[in-house]
Amino acid sequence: MNPKLCRILFSLAVLSWGVALLYFHASGRIVKYLAPDFRLIALIGGLGLAVLALFNLLTAGQQVSCGHNHSDGDEAHCHDHENSDIHPLLACVLMVLPLALSVAWTKDEYSAAALSRKGLYDAPQNTSVSFLSAVMPAITREEIEKGHRKTADGFYEFNLLELYFATGDREMQTAMDGLKIETEGRLIEERTRNAKGSRKRLYRLLMSCCAADSRAIPIVLEYGNNPLPTIDENQWVKVAGTMNFPMEEGLLQPILTVDRTVEAEPPFEESFLRNQ
Amino acid sequence: MSPDSQQDFALAFLSILFEGAPFILLGTLISGFIDVYLPPGTMDRFLPRNRKSAVVVAGLLGAVFPVCECAVVPVIRRLVGKGLPVSCALTYMLAAPIVNPITALSTWKAFQGQGAGMMTCSRLLLGFLVAVAVGLIVMRLPLSAVLKKPLVDSLAEKDAKNAKESGCCGEHSHDHTHHAQAASAANDGDRLVAAFRSAMKDFVDVGVYFAIGVTITALFNTGIAPGANWLDGLAANQTAAPAALMTLAFILSLCSTSDAFIAATLDKFSWGAKLAFLTFGPMMDVKLLFLYQTVLRKRFIVFLAIGLFVAIGAITIFWQHQIFQAR
Repeated sequence: MNPKLCRILFSLAVLSWGVALLYFHASGRIVKYLAPDFRLIALIGGLGLAVLALFNLLTAGQQVSCGHNHSDGDEAHCHDHENSDIHPLLACVLMVLPLALSVAWTKDEYSAAALSRKGLYDAPQNTSVSFLSAVMPAITREEIEKGHRKTADGFYEFNLLELYFATGDREMQTAMDGLKIETEGRLIEERTRNAKGSRKRLYRLLMSCCAADSRAIPIVLEYGNNPLPTIDENQWVKVAGTMNFPMEEGLLQPILTVDRTVEAEPPFEESFLRNQ
Repeated sequence: MSPDSQQDFALAFLSILFEGAPFILLGTLISGFIDVYLPPGTMDRFLPRNRKSAVVVAGLLGAVFPVCECAVVPVIRRLVGKGLPVSCALTYMLAAPIVNPITALSTWKAFQGQGAGMMTCSRLLLGFLVAVAVGLIVMRLPLSAVLKKPLVDSLAEKDAKNAKESGCCGEHSHDHTHHAQAASAANDGDRLVAAFRSAMKDFVDVGVYFAIGVTITALFNTGIAPGANWLDGLAANQTAAPAALMTLAFILSLCSTSDAFIAATLDKFSWGAKLAFLTFGPMMDVKLLFLYQTVLRKRFIVFLAIGLFVAIGAITIFWQHQIFQAR
């Protein structure tokens, strides 16, 4: 292939990656894909890719010497610098096609099936992280009440992660059992142990570095004789009620017996982030 | 593919791509500038003349030049072309993603409350030892058994030219000066353009394989649940657990700077199995399988993968018995 055309094709392929990174960053959608530590790196990477691509695009027709002394002449040497293992057209297709399809397909979130595969319906003790409980100090009911804000109607505001991991911590369970709490997350149908149809599930994602390594952090919502809320699946809600950790079918479950459910705005940081 | 599967694939694909692309860019920019600005044989000068000592020092270079596994492949590709012995280059390639301060810090942070110091030291030491062992073995192999044919031909061609120039200059050691003098005469603007072209070409070469690897990883990642159940069943088996987690590391293709955060959540598994996950993953995974093909022969990659799997598995089982359980 003509070297100039080859450089133009490569530049466009590299530019497509740079533009994708910059677009997702500028639009704010990057928060759904990367943890904060990686977002600045992604921005710098996107800018770097754009600069690399545009520089090469603008100088694609320029004849240059790389400065090395080669008896075969510059043309042969520069060919060596730019010679690729793969046909340039195929290389561009392989780089651009999956990216283009993914940008077209993405909805910035996982489907219910993928969430299920990422632990949405797993019992907490099967997925608890011992180092989180290890770094937490010994907790009493008084300390819990002191450490959490109280809503006007008497519910302590809790992070969903605390409720989830309390299931693997006997001390926390004892201190929290029967406590009136409020928390937020996304509402989704309950598929397990829900013969009466009186349950829903509340979840958020725990992201370490990127969406691919995120895991669902769920608790069970019990509505008892009250009607289930008529809120769309995956809608953000604030729920308030009484927290318990009963044993069901041999598994300890974090269950919130709900007093009220209201729709809520998504929080600024949708996913939990490890070590933050 | 159903719309739900498309949506899941896209999210996983883009997130891994966004996470890895900047590191590939860093690696290819370094490699592009090495290509144009670094005279042949320069890296060789930083290493001891004794080949075995050079391999050992190469295993520690990641502490000075910290790069992850995505970034290291284009760098070593250029370094080999610039005269770095293949044994040293491979040692650096395998060790640098593990034996570097960023990976050490992330491992230590992720394993807080789970013997962070012991896990971090074990990971760095095992990564270093395995990489040096591979380097010492590669030292005894012919280049044609390790490198891709075009790279071997290119090195042979350069050797022939060096020999010719040595005859002209009187002795081989004058080669670097010869090149440096020629380089200094060149137009700086031309060299910058050449460096950027070389970097772009490297980025495309690595980017293609990375895109294929990420595609496969995203497909596995979004369908990982049946595998997770299977993994849980193997956790109690001391021999199968390291093998299972090495397989998981191979499929997930996580970056060495972040894989410790995943390993720390695998609380059903022993420390030895997690150590296997953290050592094998940065050396061999689906994404690297494709990246390595830009430098190494396919047959060598297969032997390397099997060798690493067996050696790391055996060492971590021993480590679990002798060190972790003794604590």
